[in-house]
Amino acid sequence: MKNKSQKNLENIISKRFFLLSSLKALVVGTISWRFFDLQMVENRKYEKLSDNNQFNYLMIPPERGRILDRKMRLLAGNMDGFSLVLKWNKNIDVPNVIKKILNVVEIDEKDLKNFYDEIKNYKTNQTKEILITKNLSQKDVAKLAVRSVEFPEIFFSMTKKRVYPQGIIAGHITGYIGPYSEKDNKIKVKPYISWLEVGKTGLEKFFDKQLRGKFGRKRNEVTSKGHIIASQVYEKTIAGNDIQISLDMGLQAFAIERFERGNNTLVSVKNKNIKKQIENMREITYVNKKHVYKDKKNRIVNPQSGSLIVMDVETGEILCSVSSPGYDPNIFSDDLETSDWNKLKNNLRAPLLNRSMSGVYPPGSTIKMAVALAALESGIIDYNTKFHCSGSKELGESTFHCWAKNGHGKLNLIEAIEQSCDVYFYELGLKVGIDKIAVMMKKLGLGQYFDIEIDDRSKGVVPNIEWKLKHDGLKWSLGETLNASIGQGYILTTPLQLTTMVSRIANGKFAVTPTLMINKNPKNFEPLKINPKHMMFVKKSMEKVITGSNGTAKNYKIGSKEIEMAGKTGTVQVVRISEAEREKGLIKNEDRPWKKRDHALFVGYAPTSNPKYAISVVVEHGGSGSSVAAPIARDVFKYIFKV
Amino acid sequence: MKKSLNKFSEKTFGKIVLSKLIKINILIIIYIFLLGFVGVLSLYSAAGGSWDPWAKNHLTRLIFGFLLMLILALVPPKFFFKFSVISFFVGIFTLILVKFIGTGNVQRWITISGINFQPSEFMKLGLILILARYFDHISRIQLNKLINYLIPFILILFPGFLVISQPDLGTGLTIILLGLAILFFVGISMKFVIFCFIVFAASVPLIWNQLYDYQKSRILVFLNPEIDSLGSGYQIIQSKIAIGSGGVFGKGYLLGSQSRLNYLPEKHTDFIFTLISEELGFIGSMSIILIFCILIFSILKISFRVESLFSKVVVFGIGFLLFLYFSLNIGMVCGLLPVVGAPLPLISYGGTSLLTFLIGVGIVLSISVHEKN
Repeated sequence: MKNKSQKNLENIISKRFFLLSSLKALVVGTISWRFFDLQMVENRKYEKLSDNNQFNYLMIPPERGRILDRKMRLLAGNMDGFSLVLKWNKNIDVPNVIKKILNVVEIDEKDLKNFYDEIKNYKTNQTKEILITKNLSQKDVAKLAVRSVEFPEIFFSMTKKRVYPQGIIAGHITGYIGPYSEKDNKIKVKPYISWLEVGKTGLEKFFDKQLRGKFGRKRNEVTSKGHIIASQVYEKTIAGNDIQISLDMGLQAFAIERFERGNNTLVSVKNKNIKKQIENMREITYVNKKHVYKDKKNRIVNPQSGSLIVMDVETGEILCSVSSPGYDPNIFSDDLETSDWNKLKNNLRAPLLNRSMSGVYPPGSTIKMAVALAALESGIIDYNTKFHCSGSKELGESTFHCWAKNGHGKLNLIEAIEQSCDVYFYELGLKVGIDKIAVMMKKLGLGQYFDIEIDDRSKGVVPNIEWKLKHDGLKWSLGETLNASIGQGYILTTPLQLTTMVSRIANGKFAVTPTLMINKNPKNFEPLKINPKHMMFVKKSMEKVITGSNGTAKNYKIGSKEIEMAGKTGTVQVVRISEAEREKGLIKNEDRPWKKRDHALFVGYAPTSNPKYAISVVVEHGGSGSSVAAPIARDVFKYIFKV
Repeated sequence: MKKSLNKFSEKTFGKIVLSKLIKINILIIIYIFLLGFVGVLSLYSAAGGSWDPWAKNHLTRLIFGFLLMLILALVPPKFFFKFSVISFFVGIFTLILVKFIGTGNVQRWITISGINFQPSEFMKLGLILILARYFDHISRIQLNKLINYLIPFILILFPGFLVISQPDLGTGLTIILLGLAILFFVGISMKFVIFCFIVFAASVPLIWNQLYDYQKSRILVFLNPEIDSLGSGYQIIQSKIAIGSGGVFGKGYLLGSQSRLNYLPEKHTDFIFTLISEELGFIGSMSIILIFCILIFSILKISFRVESLFSKVVVFGIGFLLFLYFSLNIGMVCGLLPVVGAPLPLISYGGTSLLTFLIGVGIVLSISVHEKN
């Protein structure tokens, strides 16, 4: 029998029972929803996170392709090296591990600093492989490997160190590689890893993609403590392609030595007198550890700086490209000290600048062929048109001087080129006008970029009336035409452009363009559209520069029966000479401070009968083109033709 | 005579046991068996496919506890009624004892001849029994007077705070929650419930100050696991990754990468369900949740059926205890609740909690068997 209160109680209890049951249902519902959300809706996200936990993807760098010269000599290759890598994860006591490692092997302080920097900058918790050092010797590896049980966190990887066996000889052409950073590389590189290296300049940069190859991936299965329990190759590595270029390293080596010597002579530093001089000088570049150059007055001088290019006049292939002073790209393969880098960067002679491609110089008298061709093509003069040179030319209130103070007298075009008479070309310039000269210069390859395999190059300047208006907002004056006619003033050219110009004149038919590749250029270049007779005439006058009795380079004949060179000298004034100075008599070039000396230029080709190679020599502040640049060109041709 | 009497009693004893065994709720047995089996398999997987160190022990304990459960099922409920007061005070005594001779770094264990024993687990059963007895007694007088709830409150809060001070916030709160649920069940005034709720809400800052730093950080981390993704938030984050990456069908038995590579902490105890979810996926976890729900429902159904208030409260209490642990544990592993240290009944590795649940179910079965007619 149930009494009333008991019945009441039962009622309450069943009510509460259902209340609690619905609460429970709610709880179970919430939990089910949560699992649905985690496992069904957001499954992808968590799968990825779990994958990140479970696997650690390791990039396997491909071997970088080699750079070879035209005779398959190595310009850039790889050397075996060993890297020490830390499998970093959040549980690792890094300083302790490093301390233990340092008990066994020595590690460069700079490497350690980079290593700590990288750890400091690494913000997420995912495991990562961080490079400790790249410079581990075989001995070090052996030492560490024996005790590998103590170092579960580290491993070795075979790395390739970039080497440039030719060193400083072709530094500007090969360029160098360095750690990838998005800042200075527009190329997006996937994936980013700390030791990824990409080409920074030169061919290394231009052909970076081909040389680099394709990264492979290794997949490691790692525990939460960072121990790798399984490893498999996930993506195959594809090695980079080799690249063969048109340089001839034998010629390059000879040319650089010959160029830097100039007209100076080698002297041992052991010489007492020399030793004393060196002590008094602030900075001097040695030729090698034991020798320096001295000039004719027994003063110690730096090696000549400037550029020398040899180019095949038919194919445009560059056989030799010297830019002095140079740098050794090998120093970038090891980590370069900031101070060393600054030294290179701030060096007054700018060793990092590839003068051949991006240095710009006024062409001086080497431009006279272009002016002559412009005049001949326009029909204003013929082969026998004569002008009188009295040593200077008056124009308005200014006087324009010829290099020969007393003048050349009456002479025709061929003699004017042979003797490089300035007044003759002043007259030509006035007659032809700057615009026509500019068109001819462009036709011959000046004032333009070429499709060459070096990214850093200059365009130079070929001025005309329109250019001046755009550039300065001023009208072109006739005096500027006179300056341009002898390659001074606004006009600026790169040695590469000058070489191309000579090549086009030498082959006489088509607009050859320069290249560093072998067999790359088309067999048929665009025709030059210049009367071949005029071309022959200009070439004849260039021969006279060497062979003529008054030729500016008559002292520097090759002197072989079969092979002779043709060319044009150029001496570029660097500082303006005032009338007062002229009155007083000029200070001899070699007595001026280096920076104020003239540039010495020579452009030419050989052999004259059947032109094969063109050359340009630019010696910065070298003095006169005829006495400094021409002999270098002659010796290089002698080397090429083995005479 | 004596002989025949013996024979007779033997016979009848056998008959009685048999008749009782038949009456046992076979479904509950099956579910218990299933969950225990899941536990053994999960622990085998947690050890990376090895019987050592957990699966073997768990199986042994399971068999032992299963037998104990069957034996208890045969004992008349009167026995538990009689022992309710003693069991409660034994529980209180051991809880105080653990303060002095406790082992483990947070003093939760008593070691008796090499066997670790966690008094707070048994305390829950003691609490259920004494509350049931109290209300059974008081219901004859009056249950709607608030004053009659004073003693139950003391009975609940005293062991509750003893456990919290061990310190074991999770278990302590479970004890208090369990007690309060029973008070609610027997019909404490709704107004009073609301009043208590407000008081509790008001005293949250006070309680907060009483908490240990690690407890505070657990709650803070629960609110935002990212603030300590390597420390205490690590467990929750990794657990969620494991569950989420399981997907619909899971990574496959023994193939859970999160557990195999040790990203899951406590994968054999509190986070065992994470391992199951990772390896068996949404389908696996839902199946186990379903089994739990049916088991709890089966138990609660008994409480609805039995007559005496003592039996009602005991069955409800045990059913609710099961539910409480189940929901706290699963809510915790999936990040719905802070990490409070609640084992998953019958599946998590741990002898005391396993025995507690099996004894509890044994009591339920006993009530079910004896009050059927």
